Amino acid sequence: MGATKPKKTYSTGAFFFVAPAVVVLLAVGIFPLLFAAGVSFHQFLLPKVHWSGNFLGVWPIYDAPLTWFDNYIAIFQDDSFRDALTRTFLFLIINLPLELILGLGIALLLHQQGNEFLKKICRVALVVPMATTFAVVGLTGRLLFDGNYGVLNYLWSLIFHSRPDWLADPNLAFFAISVMEVWQWTPFCALVLFSSLTMVPPEIEEAARLETAHWWQVLWRVQLPFMLPGITAILILRTADILKLFDVVYIMTKGGPGSATELISLFVQRIGFRAFDQGVASAQAIVFLIIATVLSRIYIKLVYKEV
Amino acid sequence: MAKSYLKTGAALQRSSWGHLMLLLVVIVVCVFPFYWMVATSFKEQAAILSSTPQFIFRPTLDNYITADQKFNIGACLLNSLIVALSTTGLSLILGTPAAYAIARFEFKAKQDLWFWFISNRMISPIVVALPFFLLARQFKLLDTQLVLILIYLTFNVPIVVWICTDQFRNIPKELDEAATLEGYNSFGIFWRIALPLAAPGIAVSAIFSFIFSWNELLYALVLTRTNAKTAPVVATSFLSGYETPWGQIMATGTLVALPVIIFSIIVSRQLVRGLTMGAVK
Amino acid sequence: MVAAKINMKKLLCALCAGVAFLSLGLSVAKAWSLEEASKDYKGTEIKVIFLDRPGYRATIKMLPEFEQKTGIKVSYEIVPYESTREKEVLDFSAQGDLSIALVDLVWIGEFAESGWIVPIDELEKKFPNLTDPDLDLNDFFPLLLNAFGSWNNTVYGLPFDNYSGLLFYNKTMLSQAGFDKPPETWDDLLNVYGPKLTGTGKFAFALQSRRGETQSCDSFMRFIWPWGGSLLDAKFKPNLTDPKDQEGLEFRQKLEKIMPPGIVDFDHNEAVNALAQGEVAMITEWSAFYSTLTDPKTSKIVNDLAIAPEPKGPAGRKPALGGFSLCVAKQADDKRQGAAWLFIEWITSKAKAKEYVENGGVSGRQSPYQDKDFVAKYPFIPPMVESWQQGVPEFRPRFAEWPQLSEIIAEWGTKMQDGQATVKQASDEIDKRVEDVLQKAGYYDGKKTLAQ
Repeated sequence: MGATKPKKTYSTGAFFFVAPAVVVLLAVGIFPLLFAAGVSFHQFLLPKVHWSGNFLGVWPIYDAPLTWFDNYIAIFQDDSFRDALTRTFLFLIINLPLELILGLGIALLLHQQGNEFLKKICRVALVVPMATTFAVVGLTGRLLFDGNYGVLNYLWSLIFHSRPDWLADPNLAFFAISVMEVWQWTPFCALVLFSSLTMVPPEIEEAARLETAHWWQVLWRVQLPFMLPGITAILILRTADILKLFDVVYIMTKGGPGSATELISLFVQRIGFRAFDQGVASAQAIVFLIIATVLSRIYIKLVYKEV
Repeated sequence: MAKSYLKTGAALQRSSWGHLMLLLVVIVVCVFPFYWMVATSFKEQAAILSSTPQFIFRPTLDNYITADQKFNIGACLLNSLIVALSTTGLSLILGTPAAYAIARFEFKAKQDLWFWFISNRMISPIVVALPFFLLARQFKLLDTQLVLILIYLTFNVPIVVWICTDQFRNIPKELDEAATLEGYNSFGIFWRIALPLAAPGIAVSAIFSFIFSWNELLYALVLTRTNAKTAPVVATSFLSGYETPWGQIMATGTLVALPVIIFSIIVSRQLVRGLTMGAVK
Repeated sequence: MVAAKINMKKLLCALCAGVAFLSLGLSVAKAWSLEEASKDYKGTEIKVIFLDRPGYRATIKMLPEFEQKTGIKVSYEIVPYESTREKEVLDFSAQGDLSIALVDLVWIGEFAESGWIVPIDELEKKFPNLTDPDLDLNDFFPLLLNAFGSWNNTVYGLPFDNYSGLLFYNKTMLSQAGFDKPPETWDDLLNVYGPKLTGTGKFAFALQSRRGETQSCDSFMRFIWPWGGSLLDAKFKPNLTDPKDQEGLEFRQKLEKIMPPGIVDFDHNEAVNALAQGEVAMITEWSAFYSTLTDPKTSKIVNDLAIAPEPKGPAGRKPALGGFSLCVAKQADDKRQGAAWLFIEWITSKAKAKEYVENGGVSGRQSPYQDKDFVAKYPFIPPMVESWQQGVPEFRPRFAEWPQLSEIIAEWGTKMQDGQATVKQASDEIDKRVEDVLQKAGYYDGKKTLAQ
C-alpha cells in the first residue's frame, strides 16, 4: 500500500491491451524454449535417441540420459568455442558502433531539409540491402569479393594495381564479412534512428537551431535524447542478431579460411546440425540467451533514458 | 533579440550541395550490390565468371526461364507474400496495443514484460527448430503457411512492440487528456489518436516485420516441403553443392527482392507523417 | 544291358523334368513386369528429397513414365545440398513422411546404425513379388555398391548418383608446353608438368580447397590415400602423424607454387572455372563437371578438353570417390515401402540405365558401359570406369561421426594450406580432436564395431 505518484494510472485496462500478444507468443514459443532448455541438460544426439511416445499426448519422451551440467562445462572447456565467441565479440565491437554512427549520419541526412525527391529515393534505397534473401546476399558478396572474377577486385586493381585475395586471407575475409554486415544493417539503424528523429518536437528543434550554428550541438542536446530509446533498441537487437548471424557468412566463407570467420552461430550450426548434438547446442543457445540478456540490461542501464 | 544563426545564402547553397552528394553516395552504396545481382541475372554464365567483370554485356533471359522451369518460383513467391503479409498484419494487431499499454499505463513488472518481448529474439533458431518440427508434426501443420505465420510472430511482435512503444511515449499526454474529456475510453484514444500519430513507427516496424518474415530461411527450410515453400528456400535450392548456377540464383534473388522493395515504397509514405504532428496541436 | 537301359530312361526322365521345371521357372521370371508387380500400388505417393544436379534432373524427366506404368506418384522436393542431411535426419528422427532416403556415401553408416533404412534382403523377403529378377546386384560396380549402398556387409541401397574424381586437362596447353599425354603420377604433375605450365598468369594446377567438405574430401583426403596413408589405423586411432600421411600432406603444400594464389578459397566453381577460362591447365574434379566444361556457354575450352583418371601416388591410383544411393525408409508403411522399392529398382535398373545416362545421369552399372558405341558418345566414361576399378571405399570414413571429423579436418586443413599452422602442428591438432570425438562415440572401449 505505498503512495502512488500522481498522474500514473494503475490500470487493469492494460491487461486487455497486452494479453493477446502475450498469450500468442507464449502459446507458440514456450514449448520450444522449454524443450531446448530441457534438452541442454541431457546427452541428446538426435540420430541416436529414440522417441518413445508422448507424455500426456504432448510432451515427447526421448531416451536421452540426463547429464545435468555436463554440456555446459564441456562448452567452456572447448577452445574452439571460446575462440569463436571471442571472434564474435570482436566482430560485434567493430561493426555495431560503425553501423550506429553511419546510421545516425544517414538519419540526419534524411532529416535535413531539402532535396525532397532524392530523400524519397534514399529512403527506398535504404530498404534494398535488407530486401534480399540473406543467402543471396552472401552469394552476391562472394561474387563481389572473389579474387578472380569479383568486380571489387577489378576496381581495386584499377586504383591500387593489386588484386588481394579477399576471401582467402584470414584478415581480409573478416573484413569482407564485416563489410557485408555493415552494408546490410546500417540501413536498419538509419531507419530506426530516422523514425526516432521524427519524434523530436519541431519547435524545440527550431529553437535550438536558432541558438547555435553548430549542428553537433543541436544533435547532442536536443536530438540525441529522443533517440536514446531507438539506440538502445538497435544495440539489443543487433547484439542478438550478430550472435545468430549465419547465412551470409556461411555462404561467403563457410567460416574459413581456417577459422578466421567462424562466428559463434556457425559453431552452433556445426554442433547442432552436423554433429546433431542438440544437447550441447541447446546449452550453447541458453548461454547466449544469458549473454544477450546481460548485455541488454547493461545497454538499458547505460543508454536508455525516458524523455 | 537572439542573433539568428540561420545560414546565409551561399552557405545554404554549399550545404545543400553537400547534402545532395552525401545522399547520392548513400544511394549508390546501398544499391550497387543489388544492381550487380540484377545485372548478373541477365548475363550468361561465361560472362559472369570472366576475370574482367563485364559492365556491358549481351543480356539474356535464359536464367529466368531456366530457373522458372526448374522450380515453381511464382508459387513460392505467392507463399512468401501470404506468409509475410499475414504475419506482419497479425504482429501489428497484437503488437501495437501491447506497445501502447507499455507506453501509457503503469502496471506491475512493466519493464520485465517489455524485456520479455525483446528476449524472444534471442534464442538461436537452430535449437528450437527440432521442437517446432515436433509441434508442427503433432498438429499436422507441417508444410502449411499457417505454421510459418505463427512462428514468425515470435520475432515480429517484439519488433513492433519495441519501435511502437517509443512512438507512443512521445505523443503528448495532453492529447489523451483532451480526448478523455470528450468521452473516449482507453481503446478509443488508442484507436483514434495514438495510432495515427504513431504512423512512422508503425510503418517502420511493418517494413521490418515484412522483411524479416520474407527473408527467413531456417524455419522455412525445416518446416516446409512443397506446398508452403517460400521464396528464400527456392533461392537457395540451386545450391546443389557442386554447381553454382550464378545466373539462375541471381535471377531468383532479384525476383525475391522485388516484392519487398515494392512493399517498402508503399509503406514508406507513412514514414513522413510524424512531421505534421506538431501542426495537429 | 537292362540296367544301362533303365539308367538311360531315368536320365532322360530327369532331363525332361529338369527342362520342364526350367522353362516353367523362366516363364514365371519372364512374366514379372513392372506393371504387374505394381498393380496394388496405384495411387500411392512416395516422398523423396532431390538435389539440383544432372542425375536428378534426368530422373525427373523419367518420372512421368514411371507414374504412367505404375500409378505411383513420386513426390520430390529439391533442397540445397548443405541442408539435405539436416532435413532427412530431422524427418527420420521425428517420424516424418519421407519414404525414400537419399544417402550420400558418408551418411550411410549413420543412417544404417540409426535404423532408418531397410536392408535389401529384408525387402526381398518382405516383397518377393516386387523384386525384379533382373535386379542383378553384381552388375553394379562392386566399389559403388559397397561404398554407396552397403554398411557392415549389408546392402541397403542401390547406387543412384555416382561420381569419381577425374583429371580434367587442357590438352592444347599441355601440347604447347611439349606434353602429348597427361601426367601419370602426382610427382610428375608437380615436378615435370608443373614448372612448364606455370608462368605469365597461367598455372599448371588448381586444387579446390575451401573450408567445408571441399577441403576435407577434395583437398585433404586426396593426398593421403595415394601415398599409402590413412586417416585412421586399424584400431581407429587417428594416424595423420604417420610418415606416409605426412609425406602426402607435405606434397600438397608444395603444389602451391604451381597453383593460383588464394587457392584456399577455391571451391568447385572456382577450380572448374579456372580450367574453363583457360587460366589453369589441369584440375582433379568430380566427373559431374564434364557437362559444364563441354558447354560453350560456360566453357572456353570445349575443344581443348581431355579427361584422364587421376594421377597415381606412390601407393597407386586412389581417386576421390563420391556418390549417393537410394534406400527405402523404415518409417514408411508397408505400402509405401513397396512402392519405394519398386521405384528404386526401376530407376537404377539395367533397362533404364542407358536412358538415364542419355538424360544426363551417371549409371552405377557395368552393363551399359560395355556397349562401345554408346561409350564413344561420353568421353568421361572410360577414365571413370577405370577409376572405379581401384578406388578406396573408405576414402572418407562413412560412419556417423564423419560430419564432425570433416569439420575438424576442414578447419585445420585450411589452416595448414594458409600457413596459419605447419603440417605437423595441424596434423597433431586434427589427431587430437578426432581421437576425442571417436572416444566420445565409444570406438575405443571395444563395444562398438569398427566399421567405416
